[in-house]
Amino acid sequence: MLPSVILCFPMKWLLCVSIGLYLFGGFRRSLFFAGVAAELVYLGFRGIELGRLPLIGPHDTLAFFSTSCALMTIPFLVSASLRDSNRFRIGASLLAAVTGLMALPFPAFNMPMPPILNTLWFELHVAMAFFAYALFGIGAILGILFLLAEEKKFLEMQYMAALVGFSFFSASMTSGGIWGYFAWGTYWLWTPKEFWTSILWLYYGTYLHLRLKGSRWEKTIAWGGIVGFGVTMFTYLGVSLLMKSSHSF
Amino acid sequence: MKALLHNLYNKLASLTFGLWLLCGVMLFLAAGSFLQGEGSSINEVALLDWLREVPLRESWWLWISIGIIALLALNTLLCSIESLRTKWLKGSFLVRIAPQLLHLGFLFIMLAHLQSAYGGFKQVMQVEKGSAITFPDGSNVVFTDFAVTYSKMGMPTAYSATLNYRATGAFQSPAMLTAVISPNHPFFYQGHGIYIKDIAPPPMKAALVEVHKEPGAAMALAGGIIFTIANLILLARNREKSI
Repeated sequence: MLPSVILCFPMKWLLCVSIGLYLFGGFRRSLFFAGVAAELVYLGFRGIELGRLPLIGPHDTLAFFSTSCALMTIPFLVSASLRDSNRFRIGASLLAAVTGLMALPFPAFNMPMPPILNTLWFELHVAMAFFAYALFGIGAILGILFLLAEEKKFLEMQYMAALVGFSFFSASMTSGGIWGYFAWGTYWLWTPKEFWTSILWLYYGTYLHLRLKGSRWEKTIAWGGIVGFGVTMFTYLGVSLLMKSSHSF
Repeated sequence: MKALLHNLYNKLASLTFGLWLLCGVMLFLAAGSFLQGEGSSINEVALLDWLREVPLRESWWLWISIGIIALLALNTLLCSIESLRTKWLKGSFLVRIAPQLLHLGFLFIMLAHLQSAYGGFKQVMQVEKGSAITFPDGSNVVFTDFAVTYSKMGMPTAYSATLNYRATGAFQSPAMLTAVISPNHPFFYQGHGIYIKDIAPPPMKAALVEVHKEPGAAMALAGGIIFTIANLILLARNREKSI
């Protein structure tokens, strides 16, 4: 067991360092990667301390979300279309930084895992949902960049982000259904979180279909990706903080 | 008349109509999320029973959602048929089939909800050592023991119940068998799942247990798997294209 001083004291600093690197060095790829590394080490420490993935409570989920945003950005940063886009690097860094900053005011709970959450299906369900949320966030940034620059590559990459995000989200819903069946006795509960989860799923289903309408709809599609992130944030934070649900913090 | 039917078919099979339907479902589900109060019994009974029991002013959003989803299911089916009919000889087989598999997964999930809404069952009960749950065929599941461990902070970190039952079926022995249930590890008996939800602190030997029947679970799982596989095919095809 690592001494608690090592485990507790430097950890939030690591998160702060990564946020600093995203905020002030995000325009440089190497500094962005350093930020990702610092955040991964932070999550690693949290994981060792808790003996599981840190996925419960607003602090851990927001830190995980921030790391997901940074991790999911990497394939886009190295892609041929976006490799040289400073604007995208800055936008993606801001997304990771803001979500990381949101985690800071919340205390990090060190409670043992409630037995009902102690299953791989739960961890898969939550981790994949955050990967999807992160990709929807990246899609929103690409939508803004398309509206600003009207370069088709941003719209193409927004579609890819939404498609991969939708795949993660669908897999998250499937694993959530399996977890729910073994944990609660049903794969579906009519709670606000499930309502908004299905709304988000249908929303991105609609978004992906919009592309079939042709090039006249490009601006609508770009806006769709931006609004989608709003729906995502409401599904994640709005429902958890404002509405009573089995998924509340 | 023929032209009218043709127009109706085109309307029902159109992408635009499908998009409007999707927007409609989202809108009414969003309304439902705000209208469902904490005291709602929607999760306590099968959905169709709930719809029969509660007044329309509480359930209108769900009636409308179900109506739109039924149209959406029809639209999905017709779109798939049209897509297969017009693109059958164009492009690779995987490109043609992946979106239709996505649609099939979606339809399976909708059917699963319908099955569960019709035949679902839930009962909550407090059981003690020696309590029995009796099933429709007269067989019993008897609770024989309970166990719980606590963390230093006093939170239960693991708990379980032991139960005895007789195997059913013509070729099975009538010997008494034992099963242990714990969170995430229910016991399935005669199409019902027995779940332990909470446990009383020692020395009390009691637990809160739920019995569930979820007839749509297998179809929902099949739908989820089909959907995920189709998604992966679509992603792989897109990746190939972008490379």
